[in-house]
Amino acid sequence: MSVDKEIEVRFKIFRFNPKIEFAPSWQEYKVKVNRSTTVLDALLKIKEEQDPTLAIRYSCRQAVCGSCGMMINDKQMLACFTRVLELGSDVIKVAPLKNYRIIKDLVTDFNELFQKEKQVKPYIIRHDLEELLSPTGTYKQTEDELLRYIQFADCIECGMCNSACPVSATDPLYLGPMILNRAYRFISDPRDLGFEQRLKVIDSEHGCWRCHFAASCSAVCPKGVDPAKAIQLLRRALVKKAILGISSSKKVELIPMEHIKGKLELPRGWR
Amino acid sequence: MKESKRMFLHYISGIIILVTGFIHLIANNLPDIGTIIHESALYPVNLIMLLSALTYHMLNGVRVILIELIPGRCAAKAITWIMFLVGIALYIYGLQVFLNLFWPVE
Repeated sequence: MSVDKEIEVRFKIFRFNPKIEFAPSWQEYKVKVNRSTTVLDALLKIKEEQDPTLAIRYSCRQAVCGSCGMMINDKQMLACFTRVLELGSDVIKVAPLKNYRIIKDLVTDFNELFQKEKQVKPYIIRHDLEELLSPTGTYKQTEDELLRYIQFADCIECGMCNSACPVSATDPLYLGPMILNRAYRFISDPRDLGFEQRLKVIDSEHGCWRCHFAASCSAVCPKGVDPAKAIQLLRRALVKKAILGISSSKKVELIPMEHIKGKLELPRGWR
Repeated sequence: MKESKRMFLHYISGIIILVTGFIHLIANNLPDIGTIIHESALYPVNLIMLLSALTYHMLNGVRVILIELIPGRCAAKAITWIMFLVGIALYIYGLQVFLNLFWPVE
């Protein structure tokens, strides 16, 4: 098939504005697509040519920002990363991600998710403030140490794993695979010393122990992050700490580098 | 107790149930070995271990299900305490049955 050859495809789109409507509805549109048309392209075409009231969230259009995650034919997918004809269906069903509050149509509210993320402190925690303010070297990290967490650092926070998670569907307080993956990414980083600070949240009743290991999070991840594996590794780290008293925080070697000079200023209120 | 310790005990009790349950089945179904086990102290000790592991594993499983189904941090604490008290009551009752069975007071 040539790239220019166009086929008409039916789109069945979920419509709901909770501010003014009592119940959601499905609306159908017909769009001409070619081999390279993505679902996001088709949705934007509908918005531009047929219905400007359709609400969609998107940003980068190249599967980097994670904004356009939605249910496409009942599966969590990035609209910008899914070609319409690859779906092999005459009717494309598009709905907002499950397990999130709907703002309008295909736009879901991630606020609760990001509030939960704050609890696990998704950044490198160190206690040597003097070194951070006046660096004299760089923290040593071997290739093996990097390979231990690099897969988990690929997360683009599209939230599709939480949408696919059966536990997140029933337990609103469960941290979810995205947050637990973020926690493990930093815990397994040899430069991080914040394992004990994150324990209270990840080792709680709604922390990593609630995972049923359905692994649907890993199945839908567009970046191959494998949050289910991160959760299992997190459990291992917690058992090591609880039973053997072994902390995952390690002492990392500082390699002096003479060319690093200068003093960094912390933003106001950080001390 | 931290959730990691509770869940670690859950896994350990699961293994204990497998082992002690297997011994219990052998004792009741294989006449030759069964008679030896019945006549030794292994039979009551095995049953008491099975009771302990089964009570913990069962009630912790129910606790986990209820925590998922009933949202709220206070609810989670209440469920944990209720299960703990139910567990104590069941364990005392089971233990009393075994003690009367194996070491009856005359």
